[in-house]
Amino acid sequence: MQYTKLGLLAGLAFGALVAATPAYAQVTLKVWSIDGNDRPGIADTFSKEFDEANEDIVVEYRYIPFDELVNETLRAFATGNAPDIVSFDNPDFALFSSRGAMLDITDRVANSEIISKAEYFEGPLNSVTWDGKLFGLPKYTDTIGIFYNKDLFAKAGLTEPPTTWAQVAEYAEKLTDPANNVYGITFSARAGEEGTFQFLPVIQMSGGNADKVNTEGAAQVLDIWKSLIDNGYASRDVLSLGQWDSTGVFNSGNAAMAISGPWEIDRMVEDAKFDWGVALLPTIEEGGARSSALGGFNWGIMANTQHPDEAFRLLEYYVSQEDRLFPEFGNLPARGDIELPVTGIEKKDAALKVFQEQLQYAQPRGPHPEWQKISKAIYDAEQQALTGQMPAMDALNQAQTVIDGIFNQ
Amino acid sequence: MSRFFSWLRDGVGFDILLVGAALAFLLALAGAPLLYNVLMSFQQVDMFTLGVLFRPFVGFDNYVAVVQQPEFWLVTRNTLIFVFGSMTGQFILGFALALFFAQNFPGAATIRGLFLVSWVMPGLVVGAIWSWILAGDFGVLNVILKGLGIIDANVFWKSDPNFSIWAVIIANIWLGLAFNMLLLSVGLAAIPRDLYEAAELDGANAFQRFWTITLPMMRSTIGAVLSLGLIGTLQQFDLFPALTEGGPANTSNVAGFWSWQLSFQLYDFAKGATVSVMMFLLVLFASIVYVRSTRHEVRG
Amino acid sequence: MTRTYTPWFLLVVALALAAVYLFPLYWMYVTSLKTGSEIFANPPTFWPNSPNPGVYPEVWARRTMPTFLMNSVLIAGGVTAITVILGTGCAYVLARYRNVWIDIGLFCVLMLQVLPASVMVTPLFVGFNQIGLLNYPRTAVVLAAAAKAMPFFVVLVRATFMSVPRELEEAALVDGNSRVGAFFSIVLPLARNGILVCAILTFMSSFGEYIYSKSIIQSPLLQPASVGLSGFLGPNSTDWSSIMAYSAIYVTPILLAFVILQRRIVSGLTSGALK
Repeated sequence: MQYTKLGLLAGLAFGALVAATPAYAQVTLKVWSIDGNDRPGIADTFSKEFDEANEDIVVEYRYIPFDELVNETLRAFATGNAPDIVSFDNPDFALFSSRGAMLDITDRVANSEIISKAEYFEGPLNSVTWDGKLFGLPKYTDTIGIFYNKDLFAKAGLTEPPTTWAQVAEYAEKLTDPANNVYGITFSARAGEEGTFQFLPVIQMSGGNADKVNTEGAAQVLDIWKSLIDNGYASRDVLSLGQWDSTGVFNSGNAAMAISGPWEIDRMVEDAKFDWGVALLPTIEEGGARSSALGGFNWGIMANTQHPDEAFRLLEYYVSQEDRLFPEFGNLPARGDIELPVTGIEKKDAALKVFQEQLQYAQPRGPHPEWQKISKAIYDAEQQALTGQMPAMDALNQAQTVIDGIFNQ
Repeated sequence: MSRFFSWLRDGVGFDILLVGAALAFLLALAGAPLLYNVLMSFQQVDMFTLGVLFRPFVGFDNYVAVVQQPEFWLVTRNTLIFVFGSMTGQFILGFALALFFAQNFPGAATIRGLFLVSWVMPGLVVGAIWSWILAGDFGVLNVILKGLGIIDANVFWKSDPNFSIWAVIIANIWLGLAFNMLLLSVGLAAIPRDLYEAAELDGANAFQRFWTITLPMMRSTIGAVLSLGLIGTLQQFDLFPALTEGGPANTSNVAGFWSWQLSFQLYDFAKGATVSVMMFLLVLFASIVYVRSTRHEVRG
Repeated sequence: MTRTYTPWFLLVVALALAAVYLFPLYWMYVTSLKTGSEIFANPPTFWPNSPNPGVYPEVWARRTMPTFLMNSVLIAGGVTAITVILGTGCAYVLARYRNVWIDIGLFCVLMLQVLPASVMVTPLFVGFNQIGLLNYPRTAVVLAAAAKAMPFFVVLVRATFMSVPRELEEAALVDGNSRVGAFFSIVLPLARNGILVCAILTFMSSFGEYIYSKSIIQSPLLQPASVGLSGFLGPNSTDWSSIMAYSAIYVTPILLAFVILQRRIVSGLTSGALK
């Protein structure tokens, strides 16, 4: 009797002790990204999985439209509602990392068993680095190459895609067929980031970069592009079409070549009723320096997060799933060690191989905290040259003056 | 106490209450942001100070910087062209349509209602559709103009620096036409028919009737339509990112879009606020003119 | 001037004018049925090569449109209610007198709506956050959008009140009505049609309210249809056919509703000019 009573008491005491101990404290992480609105995407899927697999962490995912990412984050930051993890378009990352708004994860990454810095392509890694420190990780990446219509090429007696810009002009002349509403080439020189996206690689392959845009090579290519427009080998509307709409023209057979990226592939496979392929972006001289645009997004942990360790765990989870990026979501991982599975669609696989090769040469835009202003100087100059308002070199010099002002602040 | 209530019910208090309520609401929700922006134009702003009201004061530096931007004069010129071009087109066409639909024929009212489609369609969609209509190669406008023999070769409305501002103006006229037409219709409907009949008996022709009866009686409506039209045109935004994004090379960039670009694409909030304050000054002037013109209005 | 055209001729002209003006609407419907790249085909196709009506049910389901549309109605309704309640009285007073105070009042009302919404969002967001209104996002949007719509409403309704003869109101006052009574029983009914038209315009334009909703409302369950539309814009790709289909679903009922409503109001306007 006594033992039972004692036992009961002990049991109650023990039970009380257990109940009094705080249960595993629930941490809530907020993740913001552009995925998941239309169909399951990378950020929302992985966040949900992590949430379900970890009892101690709740992940709240919020979708934000692409155009709003930076502004929403700025506003939230200003009102103290910033997320824990956010994903930015890569040139926007430096705006935050340079001001200490992103958490420095250099050491964490170095000590991590899941993340290996060495595996990432140089370009994407540069865009998350600032002042020698790592502030984020690439999420996925893309680049641009030159699509070409093999059927139209054959009709014009051409077998290989062009390798230099001069060749592009030559081929465009042969391929243009006004009677059938066919332009030799279409690309995007739109007033906006897309214009810079396609023009910066030219600056880079001529030996320049965001800090030096008035190179001989860049002016030369601008002149070539201008001649394409003036001669009618490229539509004047390249000055207002974005890449997606411009390549739509290619898909409907009204242009023989198009400059764009891997996001086009699925639509092209469905809509293009001709044989097509992709080639590496042309260079200025035969065998000359290569460059291409660097697209894609980066992850980062915001500096004022309450839960840096848990946020980093989530980040590690994202990285651990990077081999699913392509097969499930159609995005290219920013790493060289992941083998892309064959999809079985011949044209798509061939295209992807080219883009993967191109990624080795892709260079970031910046990184610079005032990248957007640099970008405006670049695309304004590009458009001034292409519309003949100024000679190419003058336009680039004017842009250079603006850029010098930004760099010397 | 009852004196107070009777003051409210019957005296000046009633008027003050009615206007005061609305003004208080507006001051809180529109006046405060306005103040925020005006202040911001005199301050140095960055991402960490977006949420506070008091930041480092830099005097007129932002204004000087904005005027020194290479595109400043181009934007100013474009804004004036855009505003005058749009408003003229919208008003004249709107008035013509209002006069047309004021006539009595079956279905007039129903068909007039269809013109409001431009108000109902989302800005994103209107922008995209006009972008396709105005495209140089696959655009319908060129197809129609060529078919009518008005032009020989395709006009690149959006990409030719000489035409780009007109591309946006054309789309904007379409957009604003309905508003002008509908309101001018309401104004027209308020004019008593017997005035026209009397004038006709006196031998006035259509033009004279328009000039001496319609216009003066519509004065208040016309004033409202023009002043609101000016404000609305200056605020027009959706068409720009869809059509030209201010290009090529800022030839279709106007103050409203430029202000947005500076704040939300270049993240230079201070300059964006400065440009919006400059726009504000332009409207200030127009509003003063409008308010003074209401002094001549005839009531009833 | 005796008209020599028959009313039927005018009808034909009216239909032609409407057809020209509505061409973008037609283009919206047609584009929704086209495939992605056909939009860019040169020469442009006026009818899709292989129409895809399946895009409509697909968009309806994919985008939880019922929720979005309901939110749009709620927001537009709220905005219209506040605007009409606060704005009508204000317009009445601004039409009744002519003195310096009225000038200032009218001027303030006009100037307070000058700034575009995009610039007003940040301070409003910060302000709402301070007073905790962000927990009621749709209410916050209704307040912000009403402030945007009100000046416009006031200026227009004032023009309507200008056409109500002062003598009628004076007569009512002489008969012993208070100002309140005269307002509600005489002036308001006479201005009813103008107010109604402006209220409907306010409803229609706030139905498409986008900028405030986009930033202030974070939960997809509370967002209006205009924000739902922007979800089709990807960083690189845009599903134009779905956007146009979505837009068609959104536009068509409102347009039909307006056409029907407008007929009844305007017939009231045109038949009873104030004598």
